[in-house]
Amino acid sequence: MEETNRTAAGEKSAERRVIIRTVGLKKIYTMNNVTTEALRGVDMSIFQGEFISVMGPSGSGKSTFFNMIGALDSPSIGRVFIDEVDVAQLTAEELAFLRCHKIGYIFQSYNLIRYMTALENVTTPMAFGGVQPDEARERGMNILDLVGLKERWHHRPIEMSGGQQQRVAIARSLANDPSVLLCDEPTANLDLHTGQEILDILKRLNVEKGVTVICATHDHRMMNICDRLMWIRDGRIDRIANREDVHIEVGGIEGH
Amino acid sequence: MKEINIAEQPWLSLKRTVKITIDGIRYRLFRATVTVAVIVVAVAFLMNILAESLIKRAVAADTRERSDNAQLNSNWSTKLTSTGSPESIVAELARLDASADVNVETRNFIRLPDDDFARLQSTARDVQYVLDFFDDLDYAKRRDLIKTAAGLEILDYLARPENFDTFKLGLDRYRMIRFEMDFDKLQKLIGQRADFRRTLADIIAKRHEANAKITAYLKAEYKDNPTLVNDADRLAMAMTDADGKFGDVIRSAGFNFDAKRIAPIVADQAKNQQFILRMKFSITGASNKTRQLLAQEANKIPSDINEAIMWDYLESASFAKRYIQVMQESGMDTASLTPELLVKLAKARKETAALARAKRLTMDSGKGFMGLGERLAYLLVVSFLVCGIGITNAMMMSVTERFTEIATLKCLGALDGFIMIMFVLESCIMGIVGGTIGAIIGAVIGTGRMMASFGVNFFAAIPVLDIFGGILISILLGTLLAAFAAVVPSFKAARLAPMEAMRVE
Repeated sequence: MEETNRTAAGEKSAERRVIIRTVGLKKIYTMNNVTTEALRGVDMSIFQGEFISVMGPSGSGKSTFFNMIGALDSPSIGRVFIDEVDVAQLTAEELAFLRCHKIGYIFQSYNLIRYMTALENVTTPMAFGGVQPDEARERGMNILDLVGLKERWHHRPIEMSGGQQQRVAIARSLANDPSVLLCDEPTANLDLHTGQEILDILKRLNVEKGVTVICATHDHRMMNICDRLMWIRDGRIDRIANREDVHIEVGGIEGH
Repeated sequence: MKEINIAEQPWLSLKRTVKITIDGIRYRLFRATVTVAVIVVAVAFLMNILAESLIKRAVAADTRERSDNAQLNSNWSTKLTSTGSPESIVAELARLDASADVNVETRNFIRLPDDDFARLQSTARDVQYVLDFFDDLDYAKRRDLIKTAAGLEILDYLARPENFDTFKLGLDRYRMIRFEMDFDKLQKLIGQRADFRRTLADIIAKRHEANAKITAYLKAEYKDNPTLVNDADRLAMAMTDADGKFGDVIRSAGFNFDAKRIAPIVADQAKNQQFILRMKFSITGASNKTRQLLAQEANKIPSDINEAIMWDYLESASFAKRYIQVMQESGMDTASLTPELLVKLAKARKETAALARAKRLTMDSGKGFMGLGERLAYLLVVSFLVCGIGITNAMMMSVTERFTEIATLKCLGALDGFIMIMFVLESCIMGIVGGTIGAIIGAVIGTGRMMASFGVNFFAAIPVLDIFGGILISILLGTLLAAFAAVVPSFKAARLAPMEAMRVE
């Protein structure tokens, strides 16, 4: 069953470009002589323009997997290719460049810089990327407009609601026009309505801009908008399914 | 969709880095204020001590100069009547240039050519080194090495071979003390001691001759004046004419008495001395009107009136006027006494007292860096260490509470170097702010304290430029300290893994 699904997904997307690929990904943490295998060999490909949800209980290795494909941590064994570039081969400066330009990060607790205004938060990655201040300001305003917060550009995070903060965070992640958005439970701290807004924005970006969205989530509404779902359990891929296939089984999943 | 071409991340502009850092400090203003306060205290302490020792040093120099001037009369009076010990002549020869007044004089007395005089001075320097060496030893060591020999006798003592051996053995025992002259040279010096002594004796004899001329002149000049009972009285009187005929007598006796610069000062001081003597006599009588006047004014009984009280009240011109009147009424000599003169003398007396006080207070100053003593330097190092640890702690906490922020910045593409610079810069900014405030506070307190203890007499002696230099040094030290203290915490911040951003608090 699992095999079939993976093959099916692979065949369906055969002609599409692979943006992130992992090969035999393993991560072993050693602390006080106790070794924990957080990932036990993950092979998978994520295609360009795809909206993929990663699901799994706590301690399943989901976060570790996220850190790997987000170039935030290096695997113990195995490789991560982001657009066919082996992350392990990159220097610290190149990794910074990769994080700055190619991947947008969205966090569960927004992680906006508290002492910066919405606009400054959005333009900071641009500044890191070497964009001139005037241009950064203009682009920042456009992106804030995209998430509907143009009017509040001068507000600091503390003056905004959770949903607005997350929208600023999305705007920030888009600052350097990344190929991949990596979202770590983006709706977990939000109420249903606001969470839906965030999901809508993510979907819109996915459809309109063709950004690859990878979402770690417990939110079942994600199933309605994603292209593929991936379950991780005990450091392994439990199953990968296309949304259409899952829809049929919704009854079975609701119990989870 | 654009291709991924991995390049190296550029450095963020300094302007933006500074802005981010300052915004961060403003956001955490309270913590920053506390950290700044730590720096303020340490730097204020530094600057306070620095300002005090700078002022002390300047006042010490000022005091030396002023009291050297103030004592010109008494120094010359001594010189004209006594010859000085051989050791004092050695010190003059060793410590002063050949062009110094006293050495020119010595040369005139013994009529040595340049080369010979230079050789004499060099021998004197060597002898002085030996004398200084033994004078700097503590009593036990000194006794151990040369028994009770003192002054030039030391050379005689060491001339005996068995004593010289004891001395050498003793030096071996005390490894801490260093005798820097080699033994051959010392032996040679000991060998020359007879010649050297002869020269010294010659100088003394010539000086004695000169002094005798002066005394003879004084005896002849004042033989009809019965009030001048001894040589000292006669000399004091004659000195009032130091810028005139008596000055010529001094010069003709062979002394190097500068007619232009020194003589007028000496004469002036001698005159004042005469006035002071006269004023002293005005209250010595058992019962007189001047004494009663002072007693009334000071609300004391007449027998308690002394010279100090008199001069205290003579500082007021109106009282001085009344005093002179009373003196006149009682038939005392008031020739050329004016209220202004008395006020001037009273003030000069105060100044002399202040000079003596300042001399006493500044006795320990002037050693070590910028006049800091060893003990103060030690205290400063300790205070800076404590302050440094305090800043390190504050920065460490700043880093810890900003884990998520730092990791997020790294996810957004910040380089490790940027994070490091951000924290060091934060610390530096606090160092500059704290250093400036602290330096100014310290300078004000230090100057105020010193002014309080020395009095307005030394206002002109405050080394303003030095103090400004001290302020700059303090600010620099405060900033450097803050920067150093931030190195470890900022290193920790820079090494933080970006995946910390994913952690949910």
